[in-house]
Parts: sequence; C-alpha cells; structure tokens
Amino acid sequence: MPRTITIDPITRLEGHGKIQIFLHDDGSVKDCFFQIPELRGFERFVVGRPIEELPRIVTRICGVCPASHHMASAKAVDGCFGNQVAPVAHKLRDMYYHAHYIHSHIAHFYALAAPDFVMGPDADPTVRNILGVVAKVGLDIGGKVIRARALAQKIQQTLGGRTTHLVWCMPGGVSKGLTPEELEEIKPMVAELAGFATFSLQLFRDVVLGNPGYVDLILHGPYTLDVHNMGLVDDNNAPNFYHGKVRVVDFQGREICKYEAHEYNKFVAEHVEPWSYLKFPYLKQRGWKGFKEGIDSSLYHATPLSRLNVADRMATPRAQEAFEEMYSTLGGHPCKALLAAHWARLVEMVQNAEMLERYCADPEITSDQYRVIPDRVTGEGFGIVEAMRGTLTHHYTCDENGICTSANLIVGTTNNNAPIQMVTKKVAQALIKPGKEPDKGILNMVEMAFRAFDPCYSCATHYLPGQMPLTIQIYKGGQLWREIRR
Amino acid sequence: MRTLLLGMGNPILSDDAVGVRLAGDLARALPAVPGLDVVEECSVGGLNLLEVLEGYEQLIVLDAVKTEGGLPGDWYRFTLDTLQGTLHLTNIHDVNFATALELGQRLGMLLPHRSNVHVFAVEAEDVVTFSEHMTPALEHVYPELAAAILPQVQALVASCPASQAASEAITAS
Repeated sequence: MPRTITIDPITRLEGHGKIQIFLHDDGSVKDCFFQIPELRGFERFVVGRPIEELPRIVTRICGVCPASHHMASAKAVDGCFGNQVAPVAHKLRDMYYHAHYIHSHIAHFYALAAPDFVMGPDADPTVRNILGVVAKVGLDIGGKVIRARALAQKIQQTLGGRTTHLVWCMPGGVSKGLTPEELEEIKPMVAELAGFATFSLQLFRDVVLGNPGYVDLILHGPYTLDVHNMGLVDDNNAPNFYHGKVRVVDFQGREICKYEAHEYNKFVAEHVEPWSYLKFPYLKQRGWKGFKEGIDSSLYHATPLSRLNVADRMATPRAQEAFEEMYSTLGGHPCKALLAAHWARLVEMVQNAEMLERYCADPEITSDQYRVIPDRVTGEGFGIVEAMRGTLTHHYTCDENGICTSANLIVGTTNNNAPIQMVTKKVAQALIKPGKEPDKGILNMVEMAFRAFDPCYSCATHYLPGQMPLTIQIYKGGQLWREIRR
Repeated sequence: MRTLLLGMGNPILSDDAVGVRLAGDLARALPAVPGLDVVEECSVGGLNLLEVLEGYEQLIVLDAVKTEGGLPGDWYRFTLDTLQGTLHLTNIHDVNFATALELGQRLGMLLPHRSNVHVFAVEAEDVVTFSEHMTPALEHVYPELAAAILPQVQALVASCPASQAASEAITAS
C-alpha cells in the first residue's frame, strides 16, 4: 500500500503550507507537493478605491517585504498618472530600497542560512539557529549583525519616515525629501554598512568556503535545477532592484527574452493546478510544459542567484569583484546550484552598500524637487521591482476619476512556486530510499531546499509562537503509523 | 521601568485586526502614562520585533489567535514563560519571538525579561480574508472582551513604578 508523508507547519495564524510526499510501495518517493495559501483576493479588495491609495494599502499584503510592494505599487500608480515623476524621487526610492535590501539580506543570511553552515545541516535543531551561530562565532559578531540591521532600519526611517508600512511614495514622487542634515547623519551609517557587507563576505569565505563539505553540498548535493533565470537589469545588464527590464536567461547563459514592465503579460503566464491555491508562472511563449527541467523547460526561478545569473556584470566595482569570485568558485556563470543563493545575497548586499555610497555623493539627492503633481489620468500602470524574494509585478487600471478598476499582482515567491515543488521532490528522492526510514534529518534537508528561495507566503506575517514547526506524518494503509516532529 | 503596549496584526485582514483595534482603544482609555509607549499597529516578528522592543523592560502584546475549538472572542493571557514549551527554534523566514529575545539579551540589549512579556490573545474566526471589518461574531463580543482586558492591562501598567501615578489617575476617573 502506498504511504503518504506529510510535512505540515501547524501554527501559522494566517494560512499554512504543507509538504506531502507520496511513496511507492517499495518506499521510494513517487511524488511531492508543496501546498501553500494564495493572496486571498487582495486584487479584488483594492478595486473601487482611489488608485493613489494603493501604495499605502499594499504594504499590508506582507510584513516581510512591505517596501517591495510599496515601490512596485508606486510605480504602477505613477503609470496611471502618465509617469510624471520627479527624477530625484526615483533616486530617493532606490536609495531607500537599497537600505531595505540590506536589512532583509542580513536577517536571511545570519538568522536562516548561517545556522545550516555554521552549525552544520545535521546539527541538533536546538543549536542550529542564530543563538548557536552567535555562540560559535562570537557575541561580537552577533552585536555587529544587530547593529547593521539597526543602521539599515535607521536609514529607511530617515528617508521614508517609517519602515514597515510606508506611506511615503505618492503619484509623482515622494512625500518628503532628504535634507542636507539628514544626509550627513546617514553618511557614516552607510560607511559602516559597506564595511559590514565586506565583513559578511569574508565570514562566508571563512565558514562556508573553508569547509570542503559545504562546497560539495552546494555544488553536488540535490539542490540543483535545470530551470531558467529571471531578474531585473539596467541598460548594462547589471542587476537593478528598482528599475530596468526583466531579463530571462537560460541555465546555459543564453538570453531567452527581455521585456519592459508593460509587456509582462506577453512573456509570463500562470498555470493553475487543482491541488494548490498558488499559481505557477511560466514563460508564456514556451507554453506550460509541466514540472520539467531541461533546456526547453518553460520554468524559471527568480532569486538572488537568478538575478546574478541574468546579469553580465554588477553595477558597482566591489560587487563586481565579489561576483567574479563567486562564479569562479562555482565553476562559471550562470550557476544552477540553488544554495548559492545565500552567497548571491551577500554579493547583492555589497552592491546595495555601494549604491548607498553613490547616492550619498550625489549632489541632487537633497533636492527639494521631490514630487511633481500629476496633471492627467492615463488609466493604466505597471510596476516591476525585484523583491528580495523574486521579481514582483503590479499592474493596475483606473477610470478617468482615478478609481481602481483592476489590479493584478505576481509576487516574488510565486515565480518560484514550480522550482520549489521540483527541488523539494528532488531532495525527498535523495533522502528517502527503499529500506531507509526518513528521520528528523529530512526536516532540515527539505527545509534547506525551500529556504534557499527565502519563500514568503505571508499576508500579514505575525504568528505565535512565531515559527514554522514541521511535522512529518507517515501513513501506511491509510493509517498514521509514524510521526516525526521538531 | 518602560512599558510597551503593542497591537499586533493586520488592520485589513478581518479578525487579525483585533490586536490593533484593542491597542488603539486601550491607548485612548489610558491617559499619557510616563514610561508607557503604545504602538498600535505592528505586523513584524523575529528580529524586526527585537528592534521595536529595545529599551523596554515590560511588553504587553495584544494579538489574534486561532486555536482548535476556540470561539471568537475567547481570550487568553500568558507570559512568554508559558509559551516556552511550544516554541521551536527555527523558522523558514525569521527567527521566532523567543529566540530573538534571547539573542538580544545575550548581546546585552535592554529588553523585557520573558516573564515580563504579557500576551493577550483573542480568538479569531477569520484571519485570511482581506476586509476592513472584523467578522460579526467577533464584532459582537468585542466591547465585552475589550472591557475585560482593559483592567488587566491597566494593572500591568500600574505595576511599573514610572507609570504608577498615572494609573492611579485612571482608577480615580
């Protein structure tokens, strides 16, 4: 009788996801499904509201990357008003966004990725966490992490007035500019963050690259996929998180397509499966071909790694050095090893810090011309930014009075829905073999698969006790006969 | 002693708004109290929450919760000590609250001790549908539960020396 293994997070308040692994009679993995909640009608919720309110509303979609939604929404709303935007406003938004990236990447690397590498993937869960990391690498490093996050947060607050639920971006610009005094206050923080980004890269070299077992896990473990890459790039094909064109490059390095925000629905479509509320985006011009790897696949991922995979170069010099070192170590560009996303995050963080330095030296950044009042309603807008967790698209229409008539969102993690399914199955197949009973180790190894994507399925993102415990339930003959719980 | 009163939740996610609404209503019921700060709306967790809490010695959290068999409007009070048995130390997206708190304390940050973290959790019916309104079931019992929670929050605030005088003023009124 086939068995079913369910990995089920049980305590999230707003929705939950679970992993179900179906086994053949001989105990090998037949199939694997990662099921998660949808955005639950947010697009409907905003219809009928003044379009300029949307950047303030959409921050409530998600407390994990609210600034990403705020920025994408602001750009889409700008489009509804004819894209009349003060040039310095774009710079200020971009500046804010770099600080937001640093703040988020620090948390992911130190709190989520580092425990697997510093403590080891097989370490006891009670020590495989940030407390274990700090105990091992030293309290001083823990202090640096907290301080760097606080600095990134302070920069965001100085620029945008607040952090989590921004009300800063408005049609035509932003509601406040950056004063010369505030700029002087920010400059030393930026310098410190630049140093912290370099420090983090060095820590990665020491801890991860210094351990051949980890390098082997990254390059030769089950964590690779032959799917394509998506990311936003500037005119030089360097990563840009706020502006640019979306570029898709196959896993052998050839460009598949490159499109402007307003063309997104010519290039991306969403497939629906009856067993999941979440859609599965794919490359529209190739058509849906199922959960298939290969050069003809229509699937892609949108992650820090894919952003670097679609880039020909980085936008700043120190990030370029880090980019070259990364790909040289990984055996070339692009790279299919999904765990390299953790390294890519650190490379991005270097660019984020350098871009902040660049803006601090920009004489226009303290301009008081940070908003123009739009004088016409054009009725349709598209906003694409790179959320930390993938390419984020907002598309709105409004009537002549500026009332929202439709909204469509493709959120960062949704892009990765199919790859997450596929790599989860791959890892399960590697770990669960006939005659070999799955143990607690499978929990973290499976988690490592989707943690590389830094997936975010939140709509409100608070929960008690505040984590996603996993339970594996193994069924035999329709009866639960074993449960593994962390 | 500084106290933070924190409303957690998403104001446009049906009953998930209950903590936010309670924080707003209680903040209006509590006059300005030395040492008491109120953050009416907070939807962050993990390390982000650590940044919100730094500098406070007592934390009062108002939040929604959904438990098996619970009825909308049921509410529970516990401290972080009570929660310890259910806590796990990893998470797909951030560290959990207790881990963040412990990390901060190990790093020498001024944070509330876990026994000084008081959570009031209100049973919700729907925390997945986007709406500016709570469900009728929770809305119906809201005045009653708010009235029941208020004196308990008031007592906690009064336990802080810095806010003693103001709390007496509340009682007098």
